[in-house]
Amino acid sequence: MAGPLLSIRDLKVEFATRNGPVTALDGISLDLMPGETLGVVGESGCGKSITALAAMGLIPDPPGRVAGGSILFDGEDITHADAARLRSLRGAEISMIFQEPMTSLNPVFTAGDQIAEAIMLHQKAGRAEAGRMAVELLRTVGIPEPERRARSYPHELSGGMRQRVMIAMAISCRPRVLIADEPTTALDVTVQAQIFDLMRDIQQEFGVAIMLISHDMGAIAEMADQIAVMYAGRVVETGSADAILDDPLHPYTRALIGCIPVLGKAAGLEGRMPPLAEIPGIVPPLHLLGRGCAFADRCPLAFDRCRIERPVLEGRSHRVACFAAEMEAA
Amino acid sequence: MSLVQPAAAPEAISPLREAWIVYRRNRPAMFGTLLLAVIVAFVLYGTFLYAGDPYEIVWAPQTPPGTEASVPFGTDYLGRDMLRGLLKGGGPTLSVGAAAAIITLLIGVSLGGIAGYFGGWLDDLLMRVTEFFQVLPALLFAMVVITLFSPSPITTAIAIGVVLWPQTARLTRAEFLKIRELEYVTAARSIGARNGRIMWRVILPNALPPLIVSATLTVGVAVLFQAGLSFLGLDDPNTMSWGLMIGTNRQYVLDAWWPVTLPGVAIFLTVFAVSLVGDGLNDAFNPKLRER
Repeated sequence: MAGPLLSIRDLKVEFATRNGPVTALDGISLDLMPGETLGVVGESGCGKSITALAAMGLIPDPPGRVAGGSILFDGEDITHADAARLRSLRGAEISMIFQEPMTSLNPVFTAGDQIAEAIMLHQKAGRAEAGRMAVELLRTVGIPEPERRARSYPHELSGGMRQRVMIAMAISCRPRVLIADEPTTALDVTVQAQIFDLMRDIQQEFGVAIMLISHDMGAIAEMADQIAVMYAGRVVETGSADAILDDPLHPYTRALIGCIPVLGKAAGLEGRMPPLAEIPGIVPPLHLLGRGCAFADRCPLAFDRCRIERPVLEGRSHRVACFAAEMEAA
Repeated sequence: MSLVQPAAAPEAISPLREAWIVYRRNRPAMFGTLLLAVIVAFVLYGTFLYAGDPYEIVWAPQTPPGTEASVPFGTDYLGRDMLRGLLKGGGPTLSVGAAAAIITLLIGVSLGGIAGYFGGWLDDLLMRVTEFFQVLPALLFAMVVITLFSPSPITTAIAIGVVLWPQTARLTRAEFLKIRELEYVTAARSIGARNGRIMWRVILPNALPPLIVSATLTVGVAVLFQAGLSFLGLDDPNTMSWGLMIGTNRQYVLDAWWPVTLPGVAIFLTVFAVSLVGDGLNDAFNPKLRER
C-alpha cells in the first residue's frame, strides 16, 4: 500500500502573544491516506483549525510560526516550501472548505465567476471555457439550475448552496487532498447530512482524501475512516474509526462520544429526554498549561501522576496518551 | 400598510445594481445628480460649442447683468463677457477637480492598500510617510508644488492630489485591514491566489463603496482647492477658471458684485451637487446608516 498522501510529523506551531510565545500545536502527528477520510475532533481551541491552516501553509505569520516538525505532501517536505510552490499546491493538490459558507465566498462576485477564477488560476482555460466548467461543477455538487445559479451572488444563495459552491470551487482542479474545516457547523442538521453525502460522493468519484475537522463526534463518527482526537494542541488518541468509537481509551474521547445525543435513547419514565451530556470545564488557556496532562483538571480518572508528567502517545495502531488508559490496559 | 414581500424577481442582482436602486429613491442625491449633469452639460457646451474668447473685451467694463442683451451676465472690470468666462472657466475647474480626485485615489489606494494588506514594518513606514504629508499645511504645500513647476492645470491637479491623498490612504488601509481578516480572503489564498490578485481582485472590490464616496467628496474639495489656488493667483492666468475670475475681480467687488459672485455661485452649486451625490452614494452603499 502507498504511503500517506499528507503526513504531518511532530508539528509545532507557536504564536507570539503579549504573554510570550504560546504553543498552539505541540508536536502533533497525523497521516492522511489516499482516498480515506481522517476525522480530527476536539473542542474549540484545541488546534484543529490551526492544523488545517498549517497543512495549507496558511498560518498567519506573524504572529504564528512553524517552530518544528514537518509537513509532507506525497513525500515532499512542504514545511518551508517557497510561496510559489505553495501556491501551485493550494487549490490544485490540496484545497480547503471553510466553516462559514456565509463569509468564505466573496460577496461582490457571482458564484460562477468565483469558481471560474479558481479554475483559471491552475488550468489553462479561457474565461468562457472556465465559465462552462464552473456550471458543470455546480451540477456535480448538486445545485439545481446550475446555469442560473452560476449568475447568483452569494447573498442570494442559501447556506447549504453556498457550501456546495465552496465545495465546487475546492474540487475544481481535482485536488488529491480536501481539508474540510467544520464544513457543516453553520448549517442545519438536514443540510449537514446532504453535505456529508455530497462529500462522500465526491470522495468516491474523484478519490480525494478528506481531512474532516469537527467538534462534533457524531459528524466524525459518520464520516471518518481514521480518527484523531485533539486536546489543547496535542493528539491524545488516534486510530481507526471503529477502534476509537467501539473502544475509546482516553477519558476525553469517551466524554466526546458521550456527548453525541441519541434520539429516543433512554427516554425517562415520564417520556422526558435526559439532559444533554457535557464535559465539565473548558480547554485551559494554552499559556497556562502546566507540565502535566492538559486534561487532568477535567478528567474523572486523573491521579497524581497526571498532574506532574505529560503522557505521550503509546500503542501500535490505536494509540492513546493517557496514564489511566495505560493502567487499564495493563 | 402592506406586508413585507419577498423580492418577486429571483434574477441575480449585483451589489452595484442594488446600490443604484437605493440611490434612485434618494431625492437629494438625484437632485444633486441632476444639478451636476446640468453643470457638466453647460461646461461641455462652453468648452466645445460656445464660440468666443473669454479674454476678449466685448462691452463696457462692469456692465451689470440683465442690462445689455449681448452680455446677459454682464461684464467684468475689463469689459470681458461673464457668460463666456463662466462657460469656458468651468472646464478647467471641473477637470482639475476630477483629475486631482483621481490622483488622490491612485496614490491613496496603492499606498493604503499595500500598508493595510502587508502590515508590519511596511505599514509603519508608509503610515509615517502618510502622516508626514498630513501634517504639512495643505494650502502652503500645494503652493510650493505649483511654484516649483510652471503653473498649468496639470500642475494644479498634481499639487492638489499630492496634498489630499493621505486621507484616502488611511481609509483604504483601514478597509484593507478589516477585509484581509475575512474568511473569503483566506479562501482565496487557499485556492492558490497570489498577493497581487488578492489585493486588487478580492479585497479592493469589497473596499470600493467607501472609496467611491470619499473620491466623490474629494472632487468637491479639489474644486474648492483649485478655486482657492487660482484666487491666490497661483493658477495659470492663461487658463480661464472660476477661481481665476474671482481672483482677478476681487479688488473691484465693492463697485461690481457680479464678477465675483457669479463664479462663486457656480463653485458653490458644483460642490453642493457633488456633496449631495457623495452623501447619496454613502447611503446607497451603507443601507444600515439610512435608518438613522
